[in-house]
Amino acid sequence: MNDLERPRNVFLTGVGGHGVLAVSRVIAEAALARGFDVRRSEVHGMSQRGGSVVSQVRYGPRVHSPLIARGAADILVSLELLEALRHLHALRRDGILLANEQRITPAPIGGLTVAYPDDPRGVCEQRVDRAIFLPALDIARELGEEKAANMVMLGAYSVLAPEIPEATWLETIATAFRPRFRELNVAAFGAGREVALRSAGAGAAP
Amino acid sequence: MVKRLLTGNEAIAEGARVGGALFASAYPGTPSTEILETIARQGDVRVQWAPNEKVALEVACGVSLGGGRALCAMKHVGVNVAADPFFSASYSGVGGGLILVSADDPAMHSSQNEQDNRHLARAAKVALLEPSDSQEAMDFVALGFDLSEKFDTPVMLRVTTRTCHSMSPVELDPHARYEPVLRPGYERNFRKNVLLPANARVRHEAVEERLAQLEEFGNHERALNRIEWGDRTIGVITSGIAYQYVREVLPEASVLKLGLTHPLPRQLIREFGAGVDELYVVEELDPFLEEQVRALGLHPVGKEIFPITGELDPDRVARGFGIEPLGAGIEPVDASLPLRPPVLCAGCGHRGVFYTLSRMGVAVTGDIGCYTLGSLPPLESMDACLCMGASVGMAQGMEIALRAAGDDRPVVGVIGDSTFVHSGITGLVNTVYNGGSGTLLLLDNGTTAMTGHQEHPGTGVTAEGDATIALDYVAVCHAVGVRRVREADPYDLEALEAAIREELAADEPSVIICRAVCRLVDRTPIADPAELEIECPGCGTCFELGCPALDGSSGQAVIDPAVCSGCALCVQLCPFCGLRIHGHEAVVQESVS
Repeated sequence: MNDLERPRNVFLTGVGGHGVLAVSRVIAEAALARGFDVRRSEVHGMSQRGGSVVSQVRYGPRVHSPLIARGAADILVSLELLEALRHLHALRRDGILLANEQRITPAPIGGLTVAYPDDPRGVCEQRVDRAIFLPALDIARELGEEKAANMVMLGAYSVLAPEIPEATWLETIATAFRPRFRELNVAAFGAGREVALRSAGAGAAP
Repeated sequence: MVKRLLTGNEAIAEGARVGGALFASAYPGTPSTEILETIARQGDVRVQWAPNEKVALEVACGVSLGGGRALCAMKHVGVNVAADPFFSASYSGVGGGLILVSADDPAMHSSQNEQDNRHLARAAKVALLEPSDSQEAMDFVALGFDLSEKFDTPVMLRVTTRTCHSMSPVELDPHARYEPVLRPGYERNFRKNVLLPANARVRHEAVEERLAQLEEFGNHERALNRIEWGDRTIGVITSGIAYQYVREVLPEASVLKLGLTHPLPRQLIREFGAGVDELYVVEELDPFLEEQVRALGLHPVGKEIFPITGELDPDRVARGFGIEPLGAGIEPVDASLPLRPPVLCAGCGHRGVFYTLSRMGVAVTGDIGCYTLGSLPPLESMDACLCMGASVGMAQGMEIALRAAGDDRPVVGVIGDSTFVHSGITGLVNTVYNGGSGTLLLLDNGTTAMTGHQEHPGTGVTAEGDATIALDYVAVCHAVGVRRVREADPYDLEALEAAIREELAADEPSVIICRAVCRLVDRTPIADPAELEIECPGCGTCFELGCPALDGSSGQAVIDPAVCSGCALCVQLCPFCGLRIHGHEAVVQESVS
């Protein structure tokens, strides 16, 4: 039994259309199914128009605030590298970064793109003791659907969250999406879980 | 019972169902929009999108008068529009329970101001409920209907962006059947419902009496107002989402949690104040509770340590109390990271309009919608954006002032379809009636785009998904007396500019309707993506469109074919005729000559 003594704080970020909100929703639903109290917050005002998307999930024996205090996130899940950099300070000093290696150049404004940071991964590694990078987009492509990259990331997250059993994740994924995507989502989740188990060391939790 | 995760908005919708609402109405506005969308999806309560918040509330008042329970949802500034029926409905009271949901937006995530609508509930002298999570959002709707009927008052349910868009568990009865609560046997009640001065004077007395009864109720109703005794050295009075932050930051403190915040339970507040050493008030935005607590002779600490602007969060509450930061985090990456600001989509029909206006040296009064983005670089072609529908009246007023100052710059008003229906038509009536001569551009993208594509009276589809009569903009403009009404293709820059120039030259009011379906509604490519057929010399002309499909950071135009929709605005602009779109040869030929 993996019980939590204090709320687990998960900060999620990405770009509109990435499926950040779907990931945070599954985490929240799985945590509820596991019997935790849950809060989930999101800012999605302009997300359809290519903006940054942020969602926060907190679960544990009792949770009050839907917002995570600055520097109190246990895990930062980022579906894009620039967004990981932008929100790195959400993390506790001993927090874990779980990032998709994908880079999405911001849409040019008036024809001009501000240069994408040179070495986002290096900056993250320099500041975060435990930074895990996954080629989620490549993994999803191999499964035949780029859009499933978010479920690959969810699978990786599940390894860092042993308080929620694998069966609960699978049940939640099965009910959260339309049946025709079920097989793909389960496969993507499994692939992400496997890669994370290999790269992060089995069962390691914060 | 089952536990389900719901957003505050979904919970309000559930509350409407559980509470036996017969009817719900709304005009879309962040953060309130999903309330009516969810009720519509449930398929039980009858729903309507109204042309604006005033009408939405008036229909709800009619349902209430007839004996049905009605809920009406809007964003905070929408309540300004609905204020007329709202303030007077307070005097008439209700038949069936009546709830106005005011969704306030502290921090202005998507709003033009952050007014605190608790003041409006107090000014209108109605009951004010503030839920702190989704469970309360649902419960307070059902309870609000009861309260509304018991005390004969409209009820304002005030929520904020964080309650609307946060999810928390809600206990639901999966077997509960929807049953609208009705008060049958409607009878005319002249003294109550016809607000002639003689009747209204009597009603005002009733309103004051009602407030006294509500206050007494609030002193004892633990489902709404409760003291959570803890460490008595610190006592905090709080409401809404702020309660959650207080509980997070000071888990040991004594808390007076207020759910019914107008009228305030003064006896309960005194009891709480007397039971603690130091008294604090933690609330978002204005010192609404604090000033009233002070008026009781108590001395709370409030806005001197908690911000009056923006939204609260655990950090701001902790800082106010002088508590060390809750997190010890990683230093932010201070390099100037590229932002991802909202931009008009590739192929958006608004782009050509604002590009054209930016070249014409005209003053432009704007309005509320996606097209407000036309005010940002590189298009920068909007002088003002105030509130829903203001573009029309302001254009006429600005023309009066400019002419008086000897400035003959033309003034153009720009308004979207949903906004025109909301409150642009009356402005146009005024322009015609009072002899204005300006030109109004009606940007018709066939939806309420900004809030996520809701139907409106111009789309021909209702909130329940039924086909209905679509408002005919041309006929409306003609009917109010505009003789010069024409359509112009917003994807044809030359023709568009010619049309605007022609109408500005006319000495009478005119309307140009620019139709282009929102790209997020119809994603079918307009044509093949634009292609470069020459070595781009990098003159930068096409970059002035601010199109997200065009990247010039290499010094040359690079088109992202996955983003380009084939709208061909860039093709029309390229002075070297280097841009081509399959099927657009004709346009290119013209620009050569």
